[in-house]
Amino acid sequence: MRATRTLPLAITVTLALSACGGSALSGGGGDGGSDDGKVKIALLVPQSGVYAPLGKDMEAGFRLYLEENDNKLGGKDVELTVVDEGAGPEDGVPAGTKLAQDESVDAVVGIVNSAVALGLTDSFTEAKKPLIITNAGANDITGKSASPYVWRTSFSNGEVGEAIGGHVAKEVGDGKVYLVGPDYAAGDEFLAGFKKSFVAGGGKIAGTQMTPFGKTTNFQPYLQKVRNAKPKAVFAFYAGAEAVTFVKQYDQLGLHEDIPFYATGFLTEGGALKAQGKSAEGIFTSLHYSSELDNDKNKTFVKAYTEANKVPPTVYSMQTYDAGAVLDKALAKGTGGDQIVEGLKSTGEVDSPRGPWSFSDKQGPDQTYYLRKVEKKGDAWTNVIESELTKPSS
Amino acid sequence: MTALTANFITDNGVTMIDGLATGVLLFVIALGLSLVFGVMDVLNLAHGAIYLLGAYVAVALLGGGTKMTLLAFGGAVLLAAIIGGFSGWGLSAMVRPVAHRGHLDQALLTLGIALVVSDLVAMKFGNDVRSIPAPAGLDGSATIFGQSYPVYRLVVIVVGGLLAVGALYVIERTRVGSLVRASVVDPQMVSALGVDTKRLVTGVFAAGAALAAAGGVIGGPILSAYPGLDNRVLLLGLVVVVIGGLGSVSGALVGALVIGQIETLGVSLLPDHASFLVFGAMGLVLLLRPQGLLGKKEATA
Amino acid sequence: MKPKLSSALAVLSVLLLVAVPLVFPADIANTLSRVLALALLAVSLDLLVGVSGMPSLGHAAPFGVGAYAAALVARDTTSFAPVPLLVAVVAGGLFALLTGVLMVRTKGTYFLMLTLAIAELAHVLAQRWEGLTGGTNGLYGIPSLTLAPGGEPVTLAGVRYWWILLIFLIGFAIVWWTSRSMLGRSLRGLRDNEERMASIGYSTFWLKLAVYGIAGGVAGAAGSLWVAQNRFVSPEDLAFEVSAMALLAVVVGGRGRLWGAVLGAALVTIVRDDIGASLGGRGPLLLGLVFIAAVYLLPHGFAGTNWRQLFTRRPQEDKA
Repeated sequence: MRATRTLPLAITVTLALSACGGSALSGGGGDGGSDDGKVKIALLVPQSGVYAPLGKDMEAGFRLYLEENDNKLGGKDVELTVVDEGAGPEDGVPAGTKLAQDESVDAVVGIVNSAVALGLTDSFTEAKKPLIITNAGANDITGKSASPYVWRTSFSNGEVGEAIGGHVAKEVGDGKVYLVGPDYAAGDEFLAGFKKSFVAGGGKIAGTQMTPFGKTTNFQPYLQKVRNAKPKAVFAFYAGAEAVTFVKQYDQLGLHEDIPFYATGFLTEGGALKAQGKSAEGIFTSLHYSSELDNDKNKTFVKAYTEANKVPPTVYSMQTYDAGAVLDKALAKGTGGDQIVEGLKSTGEVDSPRGPWSFSDKQGPDQTYYLRKVEKKGDAWTNVIESELTKPSS
Repeated sequence: MTALTANFITDNGVTMIDGLATGVLLFVIALGLSLVFGVMDVLNLAHGAIYLLGAYVAVALLGGGTKMTLLAFGGAVLLAAIIGGFSGWGLSAMVRPVAHRGHLDQALLTLGIALVVSDLVAMKFGNDVRSIPAPAGLDGSATIFGQSYPVYRLVVIVVGGLLAVGALYVIERTRVGSLVRASVVDPQMVSALGVDTKRLVTGVFAAGAALAAAGGVIGGPILSAYPGLDNRVLLLGLVVVVIGGLGSVSGALVGALVIGQIETLGVSLLPDHASFLVFGAMGLVLLLRPQGLLGKKEATA
Repeated sequence: MKPKLSSALAVLSVLLLVAVPLVFPADIANTLSRVLALALLAVSLDLLVGVSGMPSLGHAAPFGVGAYAAALVARDTTSFAPVPLLVAVVAGGLFALLTGVLMVRTKGTYFLMLTLAIAELAHVLAQRWEGLTGGTNGLYGIPSLTLAPGGEPVTLAGVRYWWILLIFLIGFAIVWWTSRSMLGRSLRGLRDNEERMASIGYSTFWLKLAVYGIAGGVAGAAGSLWVAQNRFVSPEDLAFEVSAMALLAVVVGGRGRLWGAVLGAALVTIVRDDIGASLGGRGPLLLGLVFIAAVYLLPHGFAGTNWRQLFTRRPQEDKA
C-alpha cells in the first residue's frame, strides 16, 4: 500500500514544521499581552440557528461603537473577528473554548445562550482571558459561578422579572395574576424574580403554567387554562419565535381584549415586535432599555444605528455597544488579561444609551429598569417608556 | 355527573375543537411522509423542509402584515403546492440512487437536504420570525361554548377535512389509488403488471410534497414561519405516521387526529408532563403495536 | 490488505497519536481530544450499525447518560479519573440494557423510530430534571481530572489528551474484540439473515441485547471523555444532533470498518467546530452538503472504498 511509504514522510515534515510552535505540555495561560498598539477582539455571537437575529443586532452594536471611535479601543487599533455561537452549547462551547485558548485573542465579547456562558467560565478563568457577556442572563453567571474574568453588560434574568412584579401587584389590587412561560432555566429565573417582588407586594397568583421549551407551536390549550382561571392579568416571559406565536394566539383567541398583559421586555423586542404587530398593542413589559428612551446619548445612538442598519437598535445591540464602551476604558490599561480585568474594575460610570450605569461588585450592571408599553408610532410599533420601575434588590 | 360533564365541556370543549384543527393540519402534512414510505420505503427527513418552503412562499406573497384577500391567500396555497410538487419531484430523483441502500443512507441524505434547504431559506428571508396573516374575512372570531375562537381555525378544519376526504377518495376509490396501495404491499407485483412504478413513485412523492407545502401556507396564520419550525413539523409528522402505521392513509388520518388531541387536550390535562406526551405516545405504540394503530401486521416481519 | 501490513499501520498510527502532544500546541491536542471522544461514540455506534445491522437514531442517549454520570461524580465525589469513567460505563451500559429490553424486539424502521423516541424522551428529561442535571443551563464547574486519588488536577492539554487517548484505545479494542469474537460473528450473521440465525438455534434477543449493552457502555465511556475534555454537559449533548453526527461519522468512515469511524469523527468534528464556526453562520449549510456528499460519493465510506482502484486510469464503474 502506497500510504505506508508516503505517510511517515508527511508526518515527519509536519512535525518539523510545527516543532517551533510550542507543545501541548507547556503550561498555557500566558497573558499574551504584547503591547504593540493593537488589540484583537473576538465577537462570539449566534450567526446561525434560532438566535441568529440577536447575533446580528449584537454585531451591529459593537461595530457601531468601533466606527464611532476610529476603530480604536483604549487607543489601540482593533482587529475584530466574528465567530458563530450557533444554536446552543453544542456549538458555542467548543467555539468559545478555542477562543479562550487562542493566544492572539485579547478579549471575547458576546454570548446569547446562558448554557454557553456557564460552560465557558472555567476555560476563560484558566486562560486568564476576559469574557464580556452581552446578553446571556443566567443568575449564576454573576452569582454562584462568578469569575474575576467574566463580566456582564446585560442583565440577570431574576432582575428583569423582579423589576415588574411589585408594579403588577399594585395594578391588579385584589385580583389574581396568571403566570405563563417556557419551561427552561431562564424561564424559572424570570418566574422566581417576578414572584419575589409580586408576593412581597401583596399579589396573588391564579395559576402557573410552564410550557415545553422550544417545542410549543400551539398555545391554545394553555391559553384556555388561563381563560378558565379568570385572572385579572397575565404575566408571560417568552422570547423569540415563541414570543411571536404566543402573542398572536393570545390575540386570536380573544384574550387580548379581556385580560391585561404584562411581560419581560424580551417578549416585544426587535424582530419579535415587528412580527407581532397590532396583536402586541398595549402589552406592558419591563426592561433596562427601549429605543424610545429620552436621553441625549440614546438619541444620537438610535440615529447613528438606524442610519447604518435601516432598523432601530434593540436591547441586544445596546448591550454589545456598551461592551465596546467598557473595553474602551479598560484597554487603556494594557492588553494582558489581568490588566484588562484591572481596567474593568475601575470602569466607573458608563455613559450609555440605557442611561448611566456602573458595574456592581458582582461584575454585572447596576442599572435602572423601565416600564414599557407597546404603542404604534408612525408606521412602526415601539416600546414607549411609561415610568421607571423599583430597583430590584438582588 | 352531568354537571361534571358540562364543566368539562365548557373548560375543554374549545381545546378539543382546537385539537381537531391541529389534527387535520397534521394529516395534510403527514400524508406525504406516510405514502412515500409506503411506496418507496424511504424515510424522508426533508419533509419538514418542504413544509417550511411552503410557509415562506406565503411570507413572500403575504408577509407584508397587511390584510390579504381570500383570493390572494388561495393563490399562495396553489403556488406553494406547485413549488412543493416540483421539490418532491426533485427529491425523488435525488433519493432514487440510494433507495436500495437502506433507511440509514436515506435518512442521512434527506437530513442533509433538509439542512441545506432550511439554511438557504434563512439566507433569503433572515432568521427572524415572520407572521402570516389570515385572509381578510376569515380573521375574526366566532363564539363556541360561550368563548371566542378564531374563525380561521374553523376554516382549517373544513379545508383540511375536505383535503383528507379527497385524499382518501383518491387512494381508496380510484385506479391510481389502487396502484399506490398495491405498491405499498408489493412493488414487484405492480411492476410486473406493466405499470411504470418509477412514474408512480415520483407522482406520489410530488403529491405528498405538494400537500406538505400547501400545509405550510394553511398553517402559516397559526404557526408563523421561522427557521427551526421544519424540525418541529417533521418530528410531529414522523410520530403521526408511526402511530398510524407506515404507508397507511387511514392510519395517518387516525394518527394525526390522535396526536392533535394529545397536543391540545393531553397537554391541557397533564400540563406538567406536556413535553413527554408526544414521544411517550409514539414509544408506547411502537412497543405495544409496532405496526401502528392501523398498520398491517406483516409489516413487523 | 495483508494482516502484517495492517498491524504495522495500526502500530504506526497509535505511535503518531501518542506523539501529538510532544510536538503540537495545546489547541491541536484539545481538538484531537474532542475528536477521540466523538470517535469512540462513533465506533460504539458502528458496532450496532455496521456489525449488527441495528441502525440507531438515538445513540446520543447512552453517551449523554454517561456524560452526566461522569460529570456528577467528578463534581460531587471524586475527580480521580478512573472513577467517573467507570461510573459512566456502568450508567451508559445499564441505560442501554434497560431500554434495550424494550427495543431489541423491534427491527428496521420501528427500531429506528423507537431509538429516536427514547433519545428524545431522555433529552427532555435532562432538560427538566433540574435538581440533577442543572436543566437547560447544563452542569458546570466540573473539576479537572486527577491521575491519583486526591492528586493535582490535570491542567495540561497534552496530559489530558493522553488519558483520553488511552481510554479511547481501550474502548476501541473492546469493540474490535467484540466484533471479532463469537458474539461478533453471530451478530454479523444476525445482520445478514436473522431468520437463519434464529432457525439454527440462536436466541436473537439475548444476542442483540448483549451488543446493545456493550455499545451503550462504550458510548458512556465516550461521554465521560467528552466531559473530561469540555468539563461541561448540557441536554444538547444527548440531542438528536449528536446522534446524527455520530451516524455521519460512521457512514463517512465506512460501516462495519471500525477504524473508518475514527476518520469520520475527525472529519465531522473539524467541519462542524473548526470550519463551520467561522463561516459567518453558514455552518449548517456546509454540514448539510457534507451529509449529501458523504451519501453520494462514499457509499462504502473511507474504509470501504478501494482508493487505488478509484485513482487508476480507468476506474471501474461504481454502483453509486
